[in-house]
Amino acid sequence: MPEPPQTILKLVDVNKDFGGLLAVNRVSLSVKKGELRALIGPNGAGKTTLLNVITGTLRASSGQIFFHDKEITHLHSYQISHRGIARTMQITSLFAGLTVFENIWAAVQSRKKFFNPFIQALKWQDVKEKTDSMLELTGLGDKAQLICSELSYGDQRILEMGIALSTGPELLLLDEPTAGLNSQESMVLVKKMRGMLSGQTIILVEHDMGVVMELADNISVLHYGSILAEGPPSEIKENEEVKKVYLGG
Amino acid sequence: MLVALPFFIDLFYQTFLTELFVWILFAISFDLIFGYTGLLSFGQALFFGLGGYTVTIFIQKLGIGTELALLLSVVIPLLFAWFVGFFSVKLTGIHFVIITIIFALIGNIIGETWTELTGGSDGLTFSPPPFSFGLFKVNLIDIKGNYYFVLAFVVLSYLFLRRMVQSPLGKVFISIRENEDRARLIGYNVQRYKLIAFIIAGGLSGLAGGLYSLTLKYAAASYLHWSISGHAVVYTIVGGMGTLIGPVLGAGIVMTLEHYLVDILQSTDLVVGIVLVFMVLVAPRGLVGLIQSKLRRREPSA
Repeated sequence: MPEPPQTILKLVDVNKDFGGLLAVNRVSLSVKKGELRALIGPNGAGKTTLLNVITGTLRASSGQIFFHDKEITHLHSYQISHRGIARTMQITSLFAGLTVFENIWAAVQSRKKFFNPFIQALKWQDVKEKTDSMLELTGLGDKAQLICSELSYGDQRILEMGIALSTGPELLLLDEPTAGLNSQESMVLVKKMRGMLSGQTIILVEHDMGVVMELADNISVLHYGSILAEGPPSEIKENEEVKKVYLGG
Repeated sequence: MLVALPFFIDLFYQTFLTELFVWILFAISFDLIFGYTGLLSFGQALFFGLGGYTVTIFIQKLGIGTELALLLSVVIPLLFAWFVGFFSVKLTGIHFVIITIIFALIGNIIGETWTELTGGSDGLTFSPPPFSFGLFKVNLIDIKGNYYFVLAFVVLSYLFLRRMVQSPLGKVFISIRENEDRARLIGYNVQRYKLIAFIIAGGLSGLAGGLYSLTLKYAAASYLHWSISGHAVVYTIVGGMGTLIGPVLGAGIVMTLEHYLVDILQSTDLVVGIVLVFMVLVAPRGLVGLIQSKLRRREPSA
């Protein structure tokens, strides 16, 4: 009998307080291995703040965060990356002046423990092979030598996912991957995402309900920093409260 | 060419070039932190001055050999860079610039006032004993010997840095320069690698100061002056940051112009100012950036 999927991320009563303003208010959340969890809610509901707290970019004011049953609440973001959580940003965050290849390289190389100052980086065969295979996975292989600011916006979003994936994460946080794309571009992106991210455990913050309904296994609705509802897309679609505050009736 | 040159030029120009080599070393060490890691330190004079004083004081007051004194001129500034960097790399942007200026200012004030140790603004003169390394023995009083001595250290340092910026460690530095937040999110301990870059640059700046003292047989509090830090910044910006060869060209061009124009303009600062404004307006990515974009334009566009 197959084992039931294990919980890999667990938040317990997490608060984030900005001088009296509770941006995240007693959020408890569990994400199972292999799950794609969408996080939706109106602007200012605390979605990005919650991601920032999970990745250690912001410190939780109180509460606990566990990843694989180990507490990560007080770790630095670079340490959390090594535990196996990667993310993309709402506003694309790349190594803007470097080539696509160099962007992926930096992420692949980050898994190494020691950075020898006396060898040629490009002679690092295993890093090079991994970089090439990640370029293939993202479909950016033929653009590898372009400076990444020369890429189309959609390709930049894909590249950022490629960077995040190149750290070999067990959990991937995606902050509005389709932000700034028109609906046609969004569809292309979602199609590519399906290929790139299959089997990956993901928390997806997204405004485009079409994308959410298509991709999500479960949805958590955030409202004023608290979780308002949680469940599979079919349930959330019918939830009266969610309709009222977010889906617009 | 640089090896044969001393046989064709007079002593004045041999000394001029030797000093140029020192400034090149100082500028490329600055390029490691500024051009490759994105840290604008305006306090590198502290490490330059410490290196200069280390050589001078250890030889003049303690009678230590040139070999050990020069080694210490790397080690002591490196340890100070560790200390200064420990506090500074926690800060970013303008705050980082200011804290490095403050540390260097403190160094300058101590240099000016602790005259028993430093000689203040009059400085200290000394006569370095010959440098011997295995079978090599260099008489540093001899201007030609001094020339080759400094050239050798500068070339070795350049090769060391050239290799480093292409190494895995260099890739980490560059990713921090390009996007600190992204570097952190993919798992780099950004503060640690900034500190490492700062320490390496501090050690090499110290070596530059040590070689400068050996060349002039002299060290003074002016070595610690903020305008010394300014040299590195100007040479790097004029030549092209993040290229290593840029600061080499920048130092060469600015110092040559200074030398030939100072009689006409009556002030080296004015020469530097004009060159800097001209370059920032015409070629914000420095001379190397200008050459690269010219070459790229000549290629047929893909």
